[in-house]
Amino acid sequence: MPHWAPVNLPAAFLLHSITPGVSNMIAKLAKTCTLRISPDKLNFILSDKVANGGVSMWCELEQENFFSEFQMEGVSAENNEIYLELTSENLSRALKTAQNARALKIKLTNKHFPCLTVSIELLSVSNSSRVVTHDIPIRVIPRKLWKDLQEPTVPDADVSIYLPVLKTMKSIVEKMKNISNHLIIEANLNGELNLKIETELVCVTTHFKDLGNPPSASEDASQARNPEQMAEVRIDIRRLLQFLAGQQVNPTKAVCNIMSNKIVHFDLLHEDVSLQYFIPAFS
Amino acid sequence: MSDNDSTSSNLNCKLGMKSILPIFRCLNSLERNVEKCKIFTRSDKCKVVIEFFCRHGIRRTHNVCFQESQPLQVIFEKSMCSNTLVIQPRVLAEAIVLFTSSQEEVTLAVTPLSVCLKSSSDEPVDLTSSVYSEMFVGPDEFDFFQIGVDSEITFCFKELKGILTFSEATHAPIAIHFDFPGKPMALSIDDMLLEANFILATLADEPSRASSPQSLCLSQKQKRSEPLSSNSEAGKNVTSKAPECILRKVAPKRLYPKETLTDVSALENCGSPIMKRANGDRSEVSESSVSDTEEVPGSPYLRKFSCMFFGAVSSDQQERFNHPFDSLATASDSEEDMNDGSFSTF
Repeated sequence: MPHWAPVNLPAAFLLHSITPGVSNMIAKLAKTCTLRISPDKLNFILSDKVANGGVSMWCELEQENFFSEFQMEGVSAENNEIYLELTSENLSRALKTAQNARALKIKLTNKHFPCLTVSIELLSVSNSSRVVTHDIPIRVIPRKLWKDLQEPTVPDADVSIYLPVLKTMKSIVEKMKNISNHLIIEANLNGELNLKIETELVCVTTHFKDLGNPPSASEDASQARNPEQMAEVRIDIRRLLQFLAGQQVNPTKAVCNIMSNKIVHFDLLHEDVSLQYFIPAFS
Repeated sequence: MSDNDSTSSNLNCKLGMKSILPIFRCLNSLERNVEKCKIFTRSDKCKVVIEFFCRHGIRRTHNVCFQESQPLQVIFEKSMCSNTLVIQPRVLAEAIVLFTSSQEEVTLAVTPLSVCLKSSSDEPVDLTSSVYSEMFVGPDEFDFFQIGVDSEITFCFKELKGILTFSEATHAPIAIHFDFPGKPMALSIDDMLLEANFILATLADEPSRASSPQSLCLSQKQKRSEPLSSNSEAGKNVTSKAPECILRKVAPKRLYPKETLTDVSALENCGSPIMKRANGDRSEVSESSVSDTEEVPGSPYLRKFSCMFFGAVSSDQQERFNHPFDSLATASDSEEDMNDGSFSTF
């Protein structure tokens, strides 16, 4: 039996300009995800589980960039947050009808089952108003599980590098997937990044140059490291492809952090939305 | 389609869609090259001949085999329906975008003040349930709005999408005629060139009111294949209709003969438990015959019982004893029917 949050199931927030792009992206990255609502932010979270192949995701939106009115009441005063689990595609489909909406309202409701109710007021072709409602089933996540859903701490990377155009990367990785299930991503502090696949019969490497490296957090670490030396991680190629497929638009900023043989961390910024995606090394 | 054989004036036949569609597929090239198209039948060879007279003296001939068939005569007086709505196909098209393609059925709820199109699935019960969507359309969006009785009807979503695609090609408004749940509904398109009537079955309210075995199927929340969800309830309580209207059968793979259905329903209303069980089983049988992977539940002797029962009701169809599944299909579009080119009429 699922555990319901306390009686004051929190309330409405009104949205006047919503980018369905965010929910589309999330729908491509994760089938089911957690939505965390706090007074100033919204987060879409995927925690690392075996079922996901150890992949995790943390997506953050500042609520003031998206909502004209935002009211929430969390579980308690000290824990003023709400964690919900939902099927991502349900949300993206519901928001798709809101693209030309006059008004959009998202509420948490509890009729027979807790739902995220999306109410959309549309202006139809004949200029009359049409109201559309979608009840998206959700599961309220009990407080005792919140600790697994916190923002992942990013260990110091061996190499940080700016990514090339994601569409290019995606088309290359798509072709590579036909040859091998695993891919090695490696980069150095000289702005070079390689995507490699190796099989018994063939090795294919794509070289990207002059990508640039973001300024390092700690001066000592970067100076100690030989700029030519590659840091590499061997990952499941399908996870990388799933990540790349979710990026329809090229982000404002895209950084790749590599912790040798451990994990690759993608840190993207799409206008007002930040997305972090972690793919662990294939063991 | 003119018949070379001068004795019969009407030829009722059916042609495979896969044969016909490719012939007319490339509209652009047809419009550019074809000057005249002649279609005629050669009943001696059971063929429909389609001749394209193209530019540069080229003549292209397609011979398509047909099968004789009796089209299902669904008798339905749409002018007698209490509720009539006429709407531009575009408006409906905007509405159906809301529903996911996994939804089998959609519900139309009307009152004199509002029209609501909503998912017919139950309210969500767990995370994997589908989204429940509803859309309200104001009466002013309809070209014609007449609601005599508040009603909520549920019908097959896939069929609605198909009809909409068809109507968008003609640009003519769609008229929706309906009454209460369980009674068939009609969607009509009346254009200068054609008149099309789509008669759809609607879900009856409760299982106890269901007067045909297929409704029993529908009210059981089992996984069911599309053909069963559009059933031949239409054949149930109807009167004669002029045969010249173009009729599109809602393609159930197994259709019950009209009078048998009536008889069966009459018997069912007697409340005989054996009858009900046989019906229940028959619906299970049908389901298994449509979906290839399911195993027929229930023991074979029950199955035989239901088929025998069927045979007994329509005594002039004794030959159906031998083919249990065939007895359930008199006029069918299914390719898997045992096909000897002749179907007995009912």
